[in-house]
Formats: sequence, C-alpha cells, structure tokens
Amino acid sequence: MNIKAVTSSFRQQGIQFLADPQWIIPSIIAPFMFTVVALYMYSGGGELDSPIVLTAVLGGGVLGMWGNMLFASGFTITYDRYNGTIEPIMMTPTHLIDVITGRSIWNALIGLLNAILVFIFAELIFGVGVSVSEPLFFFPMLALTLFSLASIGLMLSALFVLTRASFVVMTILEFPIYVFSGALFPISVLGKLEPISYILAPSWGVDAMKTAAVAGHESITAFGIYFDVAVMILLMVIYIAAAYILFGVIERNIRNSGTLVRY
Amino acid sequence: MTAEHEYPIVVEGLTKVFKPTRRSKLPEKVAVNDVSFHVRKGEIFGLLGPNGAGKTTTIKMLSTLLIPTSGSAKIFGMDTSGGDEKRIREMINLVSGGERGLYYRLTGRQNLRFFSNLYNIDGNKQDALIEKLLEIVKLTDAADIKVEDYSRGMKQRMHIARALVNDPQILFLDEPTIGLDPEIARDVRSLVRQLADSGTTIMLTTHYMYEAEELCDRIMIISDGRNVGYGTVAELKQMVSDTNIIEIVTSDDPHDTVSKLLTERRFVHINTERIAGRYCTRVQLKDDTDVLSEFDSLFSGYGIRKIGYDEPTLEDIYLSLVGSDEH
Ligand SMILES: Nc1ncnc2c1ncn2[C@@H]1O[C@H](COP(=O)(O)OP(=O)(O)OP(=O)(O)O)[C@@H](O)[C@H]1O
Ligand SMILES: [Mg+2]
Repeated sequence: MNIKAVTSSFRQQGIQFLADPQWIIPSIIAPFMFTVVALYMYSGGGELDSPIVLTAVLGGGVLGMWGNMLFASGFTITYDRYNGTIEPIMMTPTHLIDVITGRSIWNALIGLLNAILVFIFAELIFGVGVSVSEPLFFFPMLALTLFSLASIGLMLSALFVLTRASFVVMTILEFPIYVFSGALFPISVLGKLEPISYILAPSWGVDAMKTAAVAGHESITAFGIYFDVAVMILLMVIYIAAAYILFGVIERNIRNSGTLVRY
Repeated sequence: MTAEHEYPIVVEGLTKVFKPTRRSKLPEKVAVNDVSFHVRKGEIFGLLGPNGAGKTTTIKMLSTLLIPTSGSAKIFGMDTSGGDEKRIREMINLVSGGERGLYYRLTGRQNLRFFSNLYNIDGNKQDALIEKLLEIVKLTDAADIKVEDYSRGMKQRMHIARALVNDPQILFLDEPTIGLDPEIARDVRSLVRQLADSGTTIMLTTHYMYEAEELCDRIMIISDGRNVGYGTVAELKQMVSDTNIIEIVTSDDPHDTVSKLLTERRFVHINTERIAGRYCTRVQLKDDTDVLSEFDSLFSGYGIRKIGYDEPTLEDIYLSLVGSDEH
C-alpha cells in the first residue's frame, strides 16, 4: 500500500468536494429532510419521547453517512472515467484501491459531519437532542459505524468501476441499507429477511450505538456492545478483503476487454 | 550493454482480439494482428496508420493498460502482462492527446503533486521536481490556476509534465500534438526531441506525416492491425523507389481531369491540395514509366506553373502502403 497515495487522494477528494457546492444537497439537505420526516412519522404528532427520537435521529445520521458514501464513491470513479483520469492512475505503480481508500476516508469524514449535523438539527429545531447515557461508547461507536460504511463503500466502488450504470446502482442500493441497517426501525420487524442485517456491519454499529445511548435498550444478542464491536470489525475485515479481491479481478477484466474508457 | 537495455521495447507477434461484449453484440475485432518490432534506447519510434488501425491498442498493450491476446510485449525484458507490471509502470509513462486526463478542479500544481504521490516520490523532493517540470513545459505562471481554465495547448503541456513526474525511461505519446496550434505543436516536438537526446526512449503515434518525418528515427506503418511497412524513412522510401511521383502545380482547379484519372487503375494515389492560391496535384504511378509529356498536355488547360518528377515523401509512402492494403 502506498500511504502517500492514500493521503494525497484524501486531500484531492477534499479539494474537489469543497470546489463543488452541489454536494450540499446529499450532505446536508437530504439528511436534514430525512430527520424532519422521521421525527414527524415517529411522533405521530404527539410527544417526542426518547427512544423514538433516538431512532429517527440515528436514522437521519446513518442516512447522511450512507447516502454520502454511496454517492461519493460511485461518483468519484464515474468522474474519473468521464474525465479520462482513470488510465493515468492505472498507469502508475499505485493500486487503484489506494486512491479509492483515500477518497473513501474523506467521504467517511463528511459522513460523520452529516451525522453530527443531524444531531444538531434535532437539538436546535425540535429541542430533542440525543442525551447519550454512555458517551464513552457512543462516539467511538459512531466513528466505527462510519468506517464500516466506508469499507462497504470501498467494496461497492469496485463494482462501480465496472458498471456504466453507477447512478442506477447507487439509487438501488441506497434504500435497502436504511432498512437492513436497523437505523429506521428494529430489524426484528424484518422477519425472514433479518439475516441480511447481520452481514451489514452498520447494523451492529447501530445496535451498539442504541445500546450505548439508551439505558435499557436490548442489544441484538445477549453479549452486548463488545460483541457488536467484534462482529463489526470482523465484517469490516471481510469487506476490505473482498474489495481487494474485487479490485484485482476488475483490473484484469478491464485490461482484457479495454472497457475502462468506454462509457 | 545487455539486449534489454539496447532494446527497451521488444514486441513479438503481438495480437489483440476484442471479444464481443454481451451488451454491444459487436463482432469480434482483431485490433492488432501479429505485429513485431523493437525499439532502441533513445530512439524516437513512430507508429503510423489510419483511424482504427490499432495504434492506441498497441500502445496500451505496451504500457500495461491492456493484456495481449497472444504474442508478447517486453519492456526492459519484462512481459507487460507477466506479473512485473508494477516495476514496468515505474519506468514508463504515457501521454494521450486531447482534453481528457487531468483533474479540472485542481490546479496544475495540485495535479502534478497528486501524480507524484501516486509514483511515491519523496515528499521533500516533490517541490523541486514540480517546479522543474512546470519550467520544462513553460507553465510556471499557470501553476496555480485550475486546469479547467487552461487552453487546449496548456492542457496538453500539462499532460506532458504529468507524464514526466516519474522521470520515465520510456515515454509513449499517443497523438501528442492533436489539436494544437502550429507553434505549440512545434514546442512539443522540440521537447520530444530533447527528451530523446537525453536518452528517453520514445514511441509516438501521429496522423501528421511531416511530424513523423521530422521526428522519427524509425517508423512502423500499420493498417487494419497489420504491419504494412517498417524501417527508417529512407528504407520505407526504398519500398516505393520503383514508382514515379509527378507533381503538377496549376492556377486553376484540375478537378475534372483528376477525377477522370482516378477512374484509371494506373496510379497508387492522386490528390490535390490547395496551397497559397495554387493547386498542387501529386500523382504516384504504379511503376516508373515516363508520363511527363502526357500529363503536361492533360493539365495544360489549368495554367501549369510547375510540373516535374518529385522525390517520394513519407506521405506518398504512407498512402501507397495503406492504400494498397485497402484495395
Ligand atoms: N475496448 C475495445 N473494445 C472493442 N473494440 C475496440 C476497443 N478498443 C478499440 N477497439 C477497436 O479496435 C480497433 C483499433 O482501435 P485503436 O483505437 O487501436 O485505433 P487507432 O489506430 O488508435 O485509431 P485512431 O487513429 O482513430 O486513434 C478499432 O476498430 C476499434 O474500434
Ligand atoms: Mg488512437
């Protein structure tokens, strides 16, 4: 791994992000709207009591993080393809995945900012800020959940390289994650579909966050927060390994078919 | 000197077949067909051929961007698809003509820094390197302007600077002067010359024959993926030494006569160009029969300013080699 390539890609993504004001829509406006809608839905017009508010606010946060991850990782590679910069990158001794890792970390950071913004909106507008019962766990959990999203994003961006329909894929993938990550409602509601949740690292992150935030919340398993963290880290390792393999396969495919520059 | 250092590029039986994709349903395409050549150290090697001949495909196989279907391309003795890609990539670079290939939202300097990092160049060496590259391509003043505000010529020079960040021993140039004004194109050519003089091995494609004639030590002409001519310009000219070339300069457009001549099968090619208000018609015959007096009378109605046999140019050779393949 070329660390300089990772940090440089991180910086480059930051410069490009800040140069383009349209990012305000997925990064700030969308999660804000989502939180507002969710708060109204859950409150049913009545009292905004703590666990429900938390679900909505967490949902908004996860939406912000995930939406950002999807759009950013899908869009950056698409941008490179339109821009003709993917070949100059491939020409270098650095693996494409290093570049995407750097960008994903920037995107993850912006995602974190989204989540924090959602909490601030909830506090400022509805006066229902999340009171975290165990901040020592909650905030590291938020960060870890975020990086678990980033690692899924890394894996997905491998697929985005191959597809000419990145935007379609992004849209298709956006919603299921909200559902299966348990950000919107408890995953036990999913019935037979519940196992899907278990392969998504963020489900465990959301579970851990809820456990940390709400006294009395029941964890997915009886093992509590540490188990959540262990599973999440294991899943992340699997995602990243899968991303490495996928990027390798994709580079081979592209070098055989030459489809890299055709879009 | 070992063989791979004398010949940094060795290509044998190189072939690329693009398989039809599920989506496109295009027929199988043999883009490069059994091509062999080698390039000497410090040489400027030209790859010429009509659109779709397989030039870009060849360059991509040499620069590790595409895997050959069969045959081999070796860079310093290493196969471009044999597991040594990382080492090869450290030693080569590629410039493609055209607008694409830079980050528009970044400044020239930021682009160069990004690519220096991808080549893992020492942080404390980067500033000096970038300054030097900017100077070479005369973009020092534009270094902190976003690439989106660059002119076409500035972008092309930035491409070249980008391709020099790793101080490549081999530089591939795919139509490096396309769309550039004559002055900038000349600057680019002299830069290419300088690089070759300092030992960089260069392989370039171009559609401009005078450019190839001016720059290239040796040339390969490909058509429909196949080698149709390979050697120095002088050697290629030898290939057409048994044919005559007549040049007729007239005041009026000899269109009617030219189209009549075109229907005959005695010529390799005929074309008329308008140069400085005059019409210059070049005819390459299939053999060396003397047709001077015949042409003198054929064109007499158009006001002949000059008529005579001429030495073949690279363009004549190109047209005869590529043309004969077509018919
Ligand atoms: N990825 C691909 N998949 C299928 N066919 C391809 C692909 N890339 C190129 N081709 C085909 O291979 C042939 C050679 O293309 P190539 O780009 O190498 O030509 P070229 O000599 O560079 O032409 P030009 O002068 O127009 O740049 C063309 O017929 C082209 O359509
Ligand atoms: Mg080409």
